[in-house]
Amino acid sequence: MIADLPILAVTPGEPAGVGPEILLKAANRVPQFRLLAVADIGLLRQTADQLDLGTRIQRWQPGESVNAGSLACLHVDLAEPATSGTLSARNGAYVLETLRQATSLVQSGQAAALVTGPVHKGIINDAGHPFSGHTEFLADLSDTPRVVMMLAAPGLRVALATTHLPLRDVADAITAEGLEKTLRIVHHDLKHRFGLSNPRIQVLGLNPHAGEGGHLGMEEIEIIEPVMEACRAMGMDLVGPVPADTAFNPPRLRDCDAVLAMYHDQGLPVLKHAGFGEAINVTLGLPFIRTSVDHGTALDIAGQGKADENSLLQALSLAQEMALHH
Amino acid sequence: MSTNGQAQTSPLPLFGISMGDPASIGPEVTARAVISQEVLDICRPWVVGDVNVMRRVVQGMGLEAEVVSVEDPEPAQFNAATINVLDLANVDMSRWKPGEVNAMCGQAAFEYVRRVIELAMEGTVAATVTGPIHKESINLAGHAFGGHTEIYARYTNTDKVAMLLVEENLRVVHVSTHVSLREACDLVRKDRILDSIILLDQACKRIGIERPRLGVAGLNPHASDGGLFGHEEEREILPAVEAAQARGIQVQGPIPADTLFPKAIGGMYDGCVAMYHDQGHIPFKVVGFQWNESAGRMKSVRGVNITLGLPIIRTSVDHGTAMEIAGQYVASADAMQLAIAYAARLYRPQSGATAACA
Repeated sequence: MIADLPILAVTPGEPAGVGPEILLKAANRVPQFRLLAVADIGLLRQTADQLDLGTRIQRWQPGESVNAGSLACLHVDLAEPATSGTLSARNGAYVLETLRQATSLVQSGQAAALVTGPVHKGIINDAGHPFSGHTEFLADLSDTPRVVMMLAAPGLRVALATTHLPLRDVADAITAEGLEKTLRIVHHDLKHRFGLSNPRIQVLGLNPHAGEGGHLGMEEIEIIEPVMEACRAMGMDLVGPVPADTAFNPPRLRDCDAVLAMYHDQGLPVLKHAGFGEAINVTLGLPFIRTSVDHGTALDIAGQGKADENSLLQALSLAQEMALHH
Repeated sequence: MSTNGQAQTSPLPLFGISMGDPASIGPEVTARAVISQEVLDICRPWVVGDVNVMRRVVQGMGLEAEVVSVEDPEPAQFNAATINVLDLANVDMSRWKPGEVNAMCGQAAFEYVRRVIELAMEGTVAATVTGPIHKESINLAGHAFGGHTEIYARYTNTDKVAMLLVEENLRVVHVSTHVSLREACDLVRKDRILDSIILLDQACKRIGIERPRLGVAGLNPHASDGGLFGHEEEREILPAVEAAQARGIQVQGPIPADTLFPKAIGGMYDGCVAMYHDQGHIPFKVVGFQWNESAGRMKSVRGVNITLGLPIIRTSVDHGTAMEIAGQYVASADAMQLAIAYAARLYRPQSGATAACA
C-alpha cells in the first residue's frame, strides 16, 4: 500500500547546519516514505555527494507525483552558497521562504503534513526578519489565533501553555480565556490526531508546590482551577493542578496521555533528560499537521557526516502516523 | 555495649534528628534510619520528637527496637536496638491520626525544629538533620514560614542562606525557593546569584570536590537566546558569573535549563545554580525518585537538602510528608540515611562542634 502513504513536506532548515545531512540520511532509512523536500536542490545534491550518501534526489514541480524510493525536491534558491558551520544572514530569507512554500503545500493539500528541520533564530533576526520560532511563524502564516507547542517522546507528551517569552511575563500570559483555549486544542488534537478516544491531561501548577493553597501564589486558585472545572464540565478528563516537581513521577505519567506545562522550562528539561527517548516537537491547533526535530542546527558538526538523523526520523514517522489518523 | 561494637578513641559526634510532622512519614523514616548500621557507624543519632508517637510507629512497623526517653544523651546507649528520643511530649495521641494535617501536629513539628536548632547553637549536637514538615499544618499552628530553610535562617540569625539539593551527580543551589513565580523573577539579581555561586563552590569543596565545575542556569527559555526572551541573563546573571570567575571560581553560564541539567546529571558539572524552585526541583526529582513498577510505589527517594550559609550544619530529606502513605509503614528511609551521611561529610571534628556549612 506504499502509494497510499501520505506525502510529507520537509524543510531541512538552516542551510549551514545539519538539516540537509539528516534529511538525506533519514530519506535513505525510510525509502518507503513519500518525502517532498523544500530546499535548494543544489545544496542537497552537493551534501549527498560530499558525504557519499547516494540519496536519489528528483526535482519536483507542482502537479507531479511524489514517489517512494527517491527524495522529491521543490527547489528554492539560496541567496548565496551555504558553507557548513558558517551562518550567513543573506540566507535568512531563504529559510523563511522554504517554510512559506512548504506551508502552502500542506494548506493546498499537495502534502499531508509538514516536518521541519532546525533553524537558527539568531541569524534570521540578524537578517532583519523578526522570528521567535517555527511555532509562532506557522501560526501567523496560517492565520491561526492560537497554537500549542507539544513535545512528544515515546514515554511522555508535554504541551506548553506558554512558549518563548520572558519568564516574568509568563504569569500574566496565563489567562482564563487563553488556558481554556489551550486545553481545548490539546484535548481536540489528542483525540483527532493521536487517535485517543478519551485523553487524560495532567495540568501543572504555575507556582512552586502548585501554589500550596495560595501560600506561594494565587494563579492556581484564581485561574487554573476554575478553568479546569469549566473544561471538566465540557467532558475533558483533567488531573491537577499538580506541583511540577512531582508531576513527572512514573505513576503520574502512566496515568495520563499528556502533561500541560505552564511554561517552557517546566516541561522541556525533563524531556531532554535521557530515559524518555527521542523527543520531537508537534504543533497543535494548526489547520495542518506539523512535527519537527527537537534539536538545533549543530553548526559545530555540520558537513562532517556525524549528525544523527534519528530525531528527524521520529518526526517523519509521527507526522505520517498523524496523517493516517486524520 | 559500645557505640557500634568497636572501640572508639573518641565518641562519635552527636547529631540531632527532628522527626518531622508526627502525622507524616517523618517518624517512620527517622526510626528506620537511626537504628541502621550505616547511621550508627558515623554518628550518635538523637531524635527530637515525641516518645508516644515514636513508640506507636515502631510498633506499627514491627521494628525490634526500644524507644527510650533521653534528656542527657551522654550516658545513653546508641545501638540498633535503641531509639533515643528527646521527648517534647507535645502530641495528644487521642488526636493523632497518620496522614491528617492539623494544627497540633504543625505546632509539634515546629517545636522539634526549634529545639534541634537550639541544641546545635548551644553546641550540644554537632549537626542537625530534619524530617519532613507540612507547611500547611505549620501555618495552621500560626507560624508563617515557607519551610525549614526560612525557620533556620530566623532562629540562627542568618541573612544569606541557600538550599543545596544533592543527589548523585546533581547538586543544585537555588537563587529563590518558596515564593511565587512572579516574586522569583524579581529575586534574580546579580548579588543574590553571586552569593549562590560562592556558597555552591564552598559547599562542593566541603563535601570533597577540590575544583568544582559549576554551571548557572538562565532564567528565561533558551537563556533568552541573546536577549530575545528577556534581559535578566545579560543584566544580572552574566555579570554575576563574571564576578565569580574573577574570584577564581570555575563557573559557566547562563546556560539554558534544558541543556544544563541533563549535562550535570551526566557528570559535566559538579554543581548547578537554579534561578527558582521548580527549575532545580524538577530535574532533581526526576533523577532522585526511583519507582518500583512491580510494587507500585517508590522504592527509593534519595534527595537530600542541605542549608548553606548557616552557623550550624543542617541536612534534610528532600521529600515531603507523603501524608497519603503515612501509617502504611512502607516509606523508604534512604533519603533520611543519606541526609545523615551528608551531615557527617559536612562535619569536621577539627573545626569544632559548630562547624559551619559555608
